[in-house]
Amino acid sequence: MKQLIISIGREYGSGGHEIGRKLAAKLGLEFYDRNLLDEIAHIKNSDAELLKKYDEVPKKRFFSRTVRGYSNSPEENVAELQFALLKQKAADDDSFVIVGRCTDEIFKGFANYVSIFITADEEEKVKRVVECRKKTEKDARKTIERHDKTRRAYHDHFCKSKWGLASSYDLCINSSVLGIDGTVDFLAEYVQKFRNDNN
Amino acid sequence: MLLAQIFAVAIFLVMFSLIITERFPKQYTTLVCGALTLLLVFVVGFGVKLGDWSHAALAVKETLNVHTIFKLGFWYTAAGEVESSGIDWGTIIFLSGMMIMVEGMAHAGFFRWLCLRLAKAVHYKVIPIFIVFMIMSAVLSMFIDSITVILFLAAVTVELSMLLKFSPVPMILAEIFCANLGGSSTMCGDPPNIIIGSKLGYSFMDFLTNTGLIAGISLVIVVIYFYFVSRKELSMTSGEVDSSKFPVPESAIKDKASFTVSCIIFACAVVLLVTHANTHLSVATIGLGIAVITLLTSVKHIPELLKKVDYQTLLFFIGLFIVVGGLEQTEILKLIAGFIEKVSGGNAYLMIAIIIWVSAFASAFIDNIPFAATMVPVIRSLAATSGVSLSTMAWALSMGTDIGGSGTPIGASANVVGTSVAAKAGHPVGWGKYCKVSAPATVIVLAISTAVIFIRYL
Repeated sequence: MKQLIISIGREYGSGGHEIGRKLAAKLGLEFYDRNLLDEIAHIKNSDAELLKKYDEVPKKRFFSRTVRGYSNSPEENVAELQFALLKQKAADDDSFVIVGRCTDEIFKGFANYVSIFITADEEEKVKRVVECRKKTEKDARKTIERHDKTRRAYHDHFCKSKWGLASSYDLCINSSVLGIDGTVDFLAEYVQKFRNDNN
Repeated sequence: MLLAQIFAVAIFLVMFSLIITERFPKQYTTLVCGALTLLLVFVVGFGVKLGDWSHAALAVKETLNVHTIFKLGFWYTAAGEVESSGIDWGTIIFLSGMMIMVEGMAHAGFFRWLCLRLAKAVHYKVIPIFIVFMIMSAVLSMFIDSITVILFLAAVTVELSMLLKFSPVPMILAEIFCANLGGSSTMCGDPPNIIIGSKLGYSFMDFLTNTGLIAGISLVIVVIYFYFVSRKELSMTSGEVDSSKFPVPESAIKDKASFTVSCIIFACAVVLLVTHANTHLSVATIGLGIAVITLLTSVKHIPELLKKVDYQTLLFFIGLFIVVGGLEQTEILKLIAGFIEKVSGGNAYLMIAIIIWVSAFASAFIDNIPFAATMVPVIRSLAATSGVSLSTMAWALSMGTDIGGSGTPIGASANVVGTSVAAKAGHPVGWGKYCKVSAPATVIVLAISTAVIFIRYL
């Protein structure tokens, strides 16, 4: 079977992570998110929890310096470690679904690659965060806003493309329209068609 | 004069904020700000506004300082003194030469070989490696820029940590601190010292017998401090150690002939630097000579060596000197000196304490090179009016800027490079972790520096 890499960008509360996991299971692909850091920790003999502390967050501008291409920013270095591992996996001909981590940019121009961005209606996102995270509605809105702001800053620091902008992705989809499982089925069909056309 | 002063201060503040935010590559920032200084401060401020074109021309000439390169005194100090305002070409040439020599040494595998040789000498035992690497970091940084020292030392530390199953972070943090400490002990160890030494005319031995003494005392205390702070973490090994995988030091040597030659060149550089007050060779002459010898002995690798020179840093220095020259020519730095004198009420103890601790605090958060370049004319002016010895202030400034930079992850270049190497190896170091270990050590060394300077010179 030909290699396939699916990158999923997502708004907080859109169900993007769950959709990615279910899509990977449906297509029989590996699924990567924060678990990439467990793998890195295993390879490097380091602490995965410490790495996760700096996962998918932008570097703190006033607390970072770069000297001869070396940055002291833990956030930047943890991101680079993940990018390097993902590129390695791609070079090794692995197929996988990856959530976040600027992969819409990393694999740009890659032949067997689909980038997807998942959004959802505001009320649906709030409802989901209230249920999953056990938060009040007010807190849920704040959480969504904060996380999306962080993700945008993180993405746009490393990428030329803009986070959440339609032109940055192959497909943008609102998960509120078909629901989580419906969206998974739709994406599986979309990917299958892409695969057939590519083969 | 007022317009020129406003321009000079505004350009300086913009330059500093752009350096801190890293909006653009730092060499572009300082070069553009340098060009603006020449245009707005000298041409517009002195020439157009005041109609004093001769002053403008003289300020440009003194700041660009190119004419000094053609004076014999620039190369051979016994032939007479040369002006030391504006661009310090001696520092630029010396740094370029040392960069080429260091690249030659790195290319031959010298640093990696030395690290592995020492690790083998202590039978790959973690705590002895920790102590030996700290001392080696300090000693190497006396002659070689701390970035290079930490790059190699941290890389080998990571490699050994994988083999010996310990966390490399405490060791790298200790190495970084000792590199900055070692750099403070000589004229060529740290860029602020090169600037202080060449602008104020101090020799390698002047530094060694003054800041070197403070650094020597501090090193003993610091090694003990780091041992007690880190021993628990270093003792926690995880998993079995496979001694068959220990690297052989000789494997680092890529070419025996060039390795031998690079060792000889390094030894010559050390001898020339230690004796330059007696031989009257300026640091520029030594730097140029070392570079030429390095290139002549590795003709095959000349393009490679020249390509690896850190031109960004050299251009950064040139632009920086011009901007600071603008502050100097508009007498802003004299105003700062007057302010320090006023605050201290002419009390020498208070003045020295202000220089050490303010320099240290500033250097902990901003690049200590522009800070030192700015402060040199300030202390020169302060010494002229307050009666406190210039050399005492120079040692205070040197220790403040060199050691203050150790306090935070961004205070000195070695900190940035070292923590970056650790993070790339899967061990990110945040501000909390870094400051918890290094900030107390910084305060200890600054306290020692203050005490020694008070007792010895005042």
